[in-house]
Amino acid sequence: MKKVVFILLVLFFAWGTIASAPVFGQDKIKLGFIADMPGIGATFYKSQKEAIEMFIEETNAKGGILGKKLELVIRDSQLKPDVGSNVARELILNEKCDFLIGPTSSAVALAVTKVAQEFKKIIFFHTSNTEKLTTTDFHPYMFQVVPNTGIEGGGIALYLSKKPYKRYTFIGPDYAYGQTQWASFKEDLKRLKPDVEILDAVWVKVGETNYSSYIPTLMARNPEVIYSSLWGGGLSSFIKQALPYGLFKKATITSLFDLDMLRATGMDMPEGLLGYARCPFYAINTPEMKAFTKRFYDKYKEWPSDWAIMVYDGLLVLQEAIKKTQSLDSEKIAKALDGLKWNSLRGPRYIRAEDHMANVGIYVGITTKDPRFKDFLIMKNVEEVPAEKVWMSVEELKKVRQQAK
Amino acid sequence: MEINFLLFQLLNGLTEGMILFIVASGLSLVFGVLRVINFAHGSLYMIGAYLAFSLSTRFPQFTLGPYLLLMILVPAGIAAIGLLLEVTLFRRIYGKEHLLQLLLTYALVLVLDDLVRLVWGGDIRNVPRPPSLAGSVEFLSLSFPTYNIFILLLGPAIALGLWWLLYRTHAGNLIRAAVTYPEMLGALGTNVTWVMTGTFVLGCVLAGIGGVLMSALANIDLGIAMEKIIDCFAVVVIGGLGSVWGVLLSSLIIGVGKSYLSLILVRLAMVFPFFVMALVLVIRPWGLFGKPER
Repeated sequence: MKKVVFILLVLFFAWGTIASAPVFGQDKIKLGFIADMPGIGATFYKSQKEAIEMFIEETNAKGGILGKKLELVIRDSQLKPDVGSNVARELILNEKCDFLIGPTSSAVALAVTKVAQEFKKIIFFHTSNTEKLTTTDFHPYMFQVVPNTGIEGGGIALYLSKKPYKRYTFIGPDYAYGQTQWASFKEDLKRLKPDVEILDAVWVKVGETNYSSYIPTLMARNPEVIYSSLWGGGLSSFIKQALPYGLFKKATITSLFDLDMLRATGMDMPEGLLGYARCPFYAINTPEMKAFTKRFYDKYKEWPSDWAIMVYDGLLVLQEAIKKTQSLDSEKIAKALDGLKWNSLRGPRYIRAEDHMANVGIYVGITTKDPRFKDFLIMKNVEEVPAEKVWMSVEELKKVRQQAK
Repeated sequence: MEINFLLFQLLNGLTEGMILFIVASGLSLVFGVLRVINFAHGSLYMIGAYLAFSLSTRFPQFTLGPYLLLMILVPAGIAAIGLLLEVTLFRRIYGKEHLLQLLLTYALVLVLDDLVRLVWGGDIRNVPRPPSLAGSVEFLSLSFPTYNIFILLLGPAIALGLWWLLYRTHAGNLIRAAVTYPEMLGALGTNVTWVMTGTFVLGCVLAGIGGVLMSALANIDLGIAMEKIIDCFAVVVIGGLGSVWGVLLSSLIIGVGKSYLSLILVRLAMVFPFFVMALVLVIRPWGLFGKPER
């Protein structure tokens, strides 16, 4: 009898150890996606989720990473910073996620990155692009695969400075973000091309839906380039409203022409407008991008948005770092991220050691109709402005961080 | 500044003014006959705009025909909502003190706005212009949007129609009689209650038409109700009660004034209606075309 009890005890003990083993060596990797689902976040969310799910499906089919299958947990941050940090905590503490995927909104991203820092969790940002994430609010557990506001503004200014355009104005909602954007654009442009003529900006009432009374004001300035902080739906409807006034006969409006915006504007989009995108699938000619686009289209019957491509690229970085360190440990991965090279859908790229900003540039082009796409325009003659030419130098970065302290 | 741009801005101002007139004439009518300031009038206008959006997505080809159909369907829908509101709620507050009326109509604003949020969400929407109205008319080497010109023609037509209805038809006689001598009208055997209901519904129809026009002019969102009702209120005070032409003139003043002021400073444009309203209240408290109260 004693023997039986002893054997049972041994078995029980052994079983206990086996059962609790996954705590130390889980056979899966959990990804926690903090997603801005409602309102203006909805379109972004749809394609981001599609790309993440596609990555997981493909990776798991190949046996996962380090033999571990990927699993996705999604929480809605509702475009609200406080909700964002709550769900980030929940994903870390309750769901025991190994890695976090950032949201769409920059404000939410800034809240979430603090939580990641607190818990030393690796997180990456793919759509939210405030420069603060990699400057003042930087921590080594994050990385950024979307061109940030600095690269974006500097990139478009550099591109335009090489073109014959002289007369520049601006239209955007009258609040701090737009004012900073216009101020730094003016500064960059003046430095690169001192003879440009900077005209008065046109400030739109915040929340304005009817742009018609601002359009003659813009025309009165007689600009060649109208730089704008309008984007997405707002930009799309501005273009639709301005079109019958003949505004675009003489001037271009230059802003973010991402795929969702191009699709929303449809065939109303005039040809010949000069704009930029963060990651346009149709203009990037790497074999990886072509293969990705095909897989994405076959699966979802639609073209991958900029956001979908960038979130996928972020997952590729993560995979590379895990493979390199052979571990899920945040400290090791954070170290490995310094200067990590990976094969991006956009071509070979690396993560800069000092701020974990990927050297991803913006893509500038001219709108055009294309027989391949029946419902929307794309950009032609697309040129990439490399990030290295315009991103914040390491000295500058140190200065900015010093000042913030 | 070139004369061209002043012309452009005039066109914009007049377009805004016309839509304002169409919505405000409804408010003025209800105010004149029922003596109720219906703050929910702006919300009905907003529901009209959203309804136009929803219906427009039902047509595979959104051409002029479907658009004109919206101009009938949407006002009819708003009229139905108005009828329901009048019979169940408004009927109970006629002749009551203003504070009570204000309480009801303001509560309705909150309820209706939340209803819109529930049904359509907070997204910005717009209705595509039908192809035949989407282009522009070249004039003096300038392009004027055809849609604006359409509104500029429709506005006076509605004003004329309204004037004809009020001053040249039996129904109009009843409505005007209800303004001045409701008791006598009742004593003469007219069902005053239904005259009032009819007037309220007519006001709702005008809000609905305004909503359809706006939905294809610019974007619509949850803010358009409040924005419009404030301007409408100013217009009604400036124009004077019961005068179609007074409402038309003051709408155009507000529309054009805001349009030109936004050339100088947007913030000035926002306070302009109140400035004019204050001025009118000081000089002619009964409004430009109104008659002093006896």
